[in-house]
Amino acid sequence: METVITVNGQRHTVAADDRLTLGELLRDHLDLTGTKMACGEGTCGTCTVLLDDRPVLSCLTLVAACDGRSVRTVEGRSPLLEDLRAAFAATDGLQCGYCTPGQLMSAVALLEQNPSPTTEEVVTAMSGNLCRCGAYAGIIEAVERVAVR
Amino acid sequence: MARLVRTEAVVEGRTEIRYTLVEDDDTPEWEPGERPPLIGEPAARVSAGPRTAGTARFTTDIVLPGMLEAAILRSPHPNARLTGLDVEAALAVDGVRAAIGPADSPGGEESAVLTDSPGYAGAPVAAVAADSRAALRAGLAALQPRYETAGFVVDLDEALSRQDLFSDPSEYERGDVESGFADSAATVEATHNMPAQLHSALEPHCAVVDWRPDGVTVWCSTQSIYGIRDDVAGAFDLDPERVRVISEFVGGAFGAKFGSGAVVPLAAELSRRSGRPVRLVLSRREEQTTTGYRTPASITLKVGASADGTLQAIEGEGAIGLGSDGWTYPIMEPAKSVYACPNVHTIVVPLRQNLGPAAAFRAPGVMEGTFALEGTLDELAEQLGIDPLELRRRNHSENDPATGRPYTSKRLLECYDRAAELAGWEGRDRLRSDGRIRRGMGCASQFWWGGGGPPAYAEVRIGKRARATVTVGLQDLGTGVQTACAIVAAERLGVPVESITVRAGDTALAGHGPFSGGSMTMASIVPAVRAAGHKVRQQILQLAGDMFEIGADDLTLENGEIRSVDGALVHPITEVTGQLGNAWVTGSGSRGPNPDGMAVNTWGCQIATVAVDTATGELRVEKVVAVHDVGRIINSMGARSQVAGGVLQGVGFALMEERVVDPNTGLVVNANLEDYKMPTIADMPEIVCDFVGEPDPHLAVGVKGLGEPPIIPTTAAIANAFAHATGVRLRETPFSPRRILEALG
Repeated sequence: METVITVNGQRHTVAADDRLTLGELLRDHLDLTGTKMACGEGTCGTCTVLLDDRPVLSCLTLVAACDGRSVRTVEGRSPLLEDLRAAFAATDGLQCGYCTPGQLMSAVALLEQNPSPTTEEVVTAMSGNLCRCGAYAGIIEAVERVAVR
Repeated sequence: MARLVRTEAVVEGRTEIRYTLVEDDDTPEWEPGERPPLIGEPAARVSAGPRTAGTARFTTDIVLPGMLEAAILRSPHPNARLTGLDVEAALAVDGVRAAIGPADSPGGEESAVLTDSPGYAGAPVAAVAADSRAALRAGLAALQPRYETAGFVVDLDEALSRQDLFSDPSEYERGDVESGFADSAATVEATHNMPAQLHSALEPHCAVVDWRPDGVTVWCSTQSIYGIRDDVAGAFDLDPERVRVISEFVGGAFGAKFGSGAVVPLAAELSRRSGRPVRLVLSRREEQTTTGYRTPASITLKVGASADGTLQAIEGEGAIGLGSDGWTYPIMEPAKSVYACPNVHTIVVPLRQNLGPAAAFRAPGVMEGTFALEGTLDELAEQLGIDPLELRRRNHSENDPATGRPYTSKRLLECYDRAAELAGWEGRDRLRSDGRIRRGMGCASQFWWGGGGPPAYAEVRIGKRARATVTVGLQDLGTGVQTACAIVAAERLGVPVESITVRAGDTALAGHGPFSGGSMTMASIVPAVRAAGHKVRQQILQLAGDMFEIGADDLTLENGEIRSVDGALVHPITEVTGQLGNAWVTGSGSRGPNPDGMAVNTWGCQIATVAVDTATGELRVEKVVAVHDVGRIINSMGARSQVAGGVLQGVGFALMEERVVDPNTGLVVNANLEDYKMPTIADMPEIVCDFVGEPDPHLAVGVKGLGEPPIIPTTAAIANAFAHATGVRLRETPFSPRRILEALG
């Protein structure tokens, strides 16, 4: 089956196995390894990317379900993503950095939908992204710094 | 000139005597009270750019031309004998390039990675490498293993009753506990139990190996690139210089990524056989069941004290479950070493179980032992009617109670005072109420090693634009050690931290560095970097002296400028480095030994505030005040992050983390990140962090490690806060709502 999918603004026509996941497409076929895999079963949020404007787990999303749709990953470029990157660095909202791409994409999704979230809303929106190193305080602070006050 | 120096090395409490290569070093120590620029200021981590841009290359991201994917066939049974395995059938599958069973296992008979007598569910039996994932699945299916199963033991109590010891019990004795208890006005005996905690690093264990006739290159997610190099060279009888290990970024480790495990030797053997690069990445289930855990432990302590709270005797009996491998983690070390107590007798029994191998996990043993000791002492304080913090102060020891050695520094009393002030300890009884929600506050002390030591080497070079590169032969797990290296080099070179590039994670680079563990990395490497940076500084000043016709001794280097001491001459450093063309000024440095005959330890105190919902059994950690004495702080922001991470893993251990094993099947039933509960962003308590910050006067640069300390007292402080809130003791983790409701009756 052929799927047309736009990734970070670039259109791709993918002829692939129906079982191919979005995460596999990004990492193994498009060389976009910024998106990380940690559980492969939808429980940790590490592989979060944006499908159209919503955060999805790329390990559970089939490429076949993305026909005609638009995907954004951590490799993408936008002023909001740049601001979040700088804020994560400034607040030390990361340690090993393995969960960071997923955290950033969840934060982009939140701030696009709700540019001025309360702390509680930040926590709720980010609660699907595990960070084993425990950089959560910096993550909250980073998102709040970028939020419109 | 370099010399061989005899040193006492202390690794997580084990002392070894060894010789180490040390370069001459005339770097002056900072004066007491001196506040050198940049040191201790908050700095963003140097790797934040690639880590936030998605360009940081983790081992799981490595793709090489012609690379095969590999996977491991594992025993589904906790104890079995392999009676059949069809390796030939796997090799016959289209796209399968290599397949191996126990007969072909790397590691030889002594330490074979593949086994025909699996002793735990998940033990590696065979491995396959193939062109595609589909071929790999077909190859694994073709192996058709057959097993004869046998009985097994997974329960710690059952292992204890069978006395199936992994190795000899570990015993410690000083004084005479019987007479100590006879002299005691009060005694308390308590048993603390805890299940295994799983490291659960988000990047699983993984390796990519490219075996070529002229040498082997290994990419892997590891805490020790040099350890992996030696393992591979040893297992395959190779010259270590022909083995290159690369670990640019590591996605969390926490103690589980020492040693080459199964992934490195299997990927190497499959690459050797196929002539192709091979990538082997563990699944989450494999990660949670075969790569290590903090040992389940049962610790019984009996403490006796005189009426004023002075400890007279501590007697301890402990059992830990090592599964199929590990060592006897020091669960009795706190009982032995934290307080001045003349009579101590402890014994630890390491048990074998039909479970995967144990591994060090952030403060292995000491965290578990601290939960037991600090909980028991809290009960003692209650019985004697002494403020818990005061009881700890009264048992403060000025020398290491186990050896009598003086400490290089110990500012634990300051930690108590500062933590009490920050937490509002004096007013803690006002938190209490009789309502549905009960609040309380509890404290615990922290003890760990963390002095670091040799061997550790660094190279610093500066180029024409006064940008410098620091090269260190270590790996960065996310602890921030590279950032600390950049700060220390920047201070010596008088340039901003942003002017420093740190290169690490590759054995082909200069500068053999330490492993990342035991809270030793920072204290080991930072003095080497400073020494290397100082040599570059001296050379730059010499060159400036040549250029400006002034003695180098009359020049200083700071804020990007070379100045004469009298202030008459000021030139940007680039005026000198600009003459270098494409040459560099380089310097190398090494870590000298710590003083002999002294105890090097880190200290701290945490105070937790909790809220207990007596109707639902929910325990909420509202705040943790963490004050630690780890010597000089290099990067205050990085240090705070280490504390936040340690405290949060402690909160996880206390409240929710538990490996659950089905005693009927011997299988781990929560080997995933959904059923194995770990703290999310919503579980983060408020953390108030402070450091004593005084440099250790006996250690180079005055720095001690901070990886382990913050996790150590958290569980005990939470349990003691719960007791303060409710009057009921929690002696078994995790403190789940069910367990809390049962405890409250």
